[in-house]
Amino acid sequence: MAGTTIVITSGKGGVGKTTSVANLGTALALRGRSVVLIDADIGLRNLDVVMGLENRIVYNLVDIIEGRCRLEQAMIRDRKLNTLFLIPAAQTREKDAVHPEQMKELCEKLEQNFDYILVDCPAGIERGFRNAVAGAQKAIIVTTPEVSAIRDADRVIGLLEAELMKDINLIINRLNHKMVKRGDMMSTEDICSLLAVPLIGVIPESEEVVISTNRGIPLVHDKRSDIANAFKRIASRLEGEEIPIPTEIPGDSGILSKFKKLIWSS
Amino acid sequence: MDNSKGVVPVQIRAQRDGQFIFILDPSMPFQMILRYLEKKRKTSNNFFKSAKIILDLGSRPFRIDEVTAIRDMLRRQWGVKIVELRLGHSLDSFFEWASKQIDIPIKQIPVAEFSMEPVVIRHTCRSGTRIEAPVDCIILGDVNPGAEVIAGRDIIVFGVLRGIAHAGAMGNREAKIWALSIEPNQIRIADLVAMPPQDDKHQPKRYEVAQIRDDQIQVLTF
Repeated sequence: MAGTTIVITSGKGGVGKTTSVANLGTALALRGRSVVLIDADIGLRNLDVVMGLENRIVYNLVDIIEGRCRLEQAMIRDRKLNTLFLIPAAQTREKDAVHPEQMKELCEKLEQNFDYILVDCPAGIERGFRNAVAGAQKAIIVTTPEVSAIRDADRVIGLLEAELMKDINLIINRLNHKMVKRGDMMSTEDICSLLAVPLIGVIPESEEVVISTNRGIPLVHDKRSDIANAFKRIASRLEGEEIPIPTEIPGDSGILSKFKKLIWSS
Repeated sequence: MDNSKGVVPVQIRAQRDGQFIFILDPSMPFQMILRYLEKKRKTSNNFFKSAKIILDLGSRPFRIDEVTAIRDMLRRQWGVKIVELRLGHSLDSFFEWASKQIDIPIKQIPVAEFSMEPVVIRHTCRSGTRIEAPVDCIILGDVNPGAEVIAGRDIIVFGVLRGIAHAGAMGNREAKIWALSIEPNQIRIADLVAMPPQDDKHQPKRYEVAQIRDDQIQVLTF
């Protein structure tokens, strides 16, 4: 079995990399795939918290690399899905405890037994980023519709292209459709025209995300949530299904807005 | 003597640093130049006394007797010193004189101008990239915010310019920036810096050009 390693990165911190990894991994596992999540943010680990697996950690990524445990010992099985695993980062070490070459080796080993390996990349473009990217064949860039996040995403795409990464996709997180309509937020089209990489999904802004993160249960498990469905659609698109990305949420088509459109078009 | 048409045998210009430039007319007979300078001295009331003068031959052929004659005249009668001799456009006459001096024919071999060809970038310049071109720079793609393009002469962007562009970086004020749309946070041409006006939401139909006009960077939309 030849799996795929996908790195989830953004450049800027706090845009939703870890949330995306947790939900995307869970969504892929719900589709019946075998998935390993690797937290590459050594020293600032939090994927385990988002997955609700913090109290099960015995060994971590650095232990595997330094040979203190076998690969299987450090892999923590998810509480609900038995094809989903997490390799947590070491909290008491620093980014240079791991070498990009070692990371690549680890990913290659995991690819033999799993369908997907999702690497949660730390913020920044230094050693941690190099480590996370080393073993990846694909990249997913997460950005929010803010100028600063987009600037950093652009820089990261440039770095990935320099490493000859061809398969780069974009997730726009925390899009507020109301603000876009008012013209107070960059729209999906604006972001795509600037970053010029294929869009794989748009996640609307929601309070549910914070709640699920605090509970340690990925939102994808909630069948009624819009966010969960957005992540499930991204998982389907990752597997090659063609599902159109809804650009605008229907509603707010009152008389006034139609009238406005008439004025503008005349 | 026909000075009424504005043809002056010697043009005198003052520079900011206090020096004067004497520019000789290329076609005027040398005797007229001397006569003009003599007249000028009488009317100038010792204005030029102990001034520093740059003698600019313009396109007038270099003749050693002419230069020494003016030098001696200015030194003795005006009390001024020539601090610089400018051979503007015709170096041939100077080499002719020099080869006669050493009695060996001189052949001037032009220094091959290195990489006069433009630098062509065939992808979008993303944040963090910096491109330096000695002469012209052509970018087939966008220039995103956070990217820098610096060129000795013109910058041509076949896309949207959103990052920083500096044309004529070595001081060439003739340099221009061409782009399908110019919407950067800053553009620079030679020693000038410009920022776009706030709330600038223009949409050029074809292309835009930024250039210097009246000591200001102007962006023209076509």
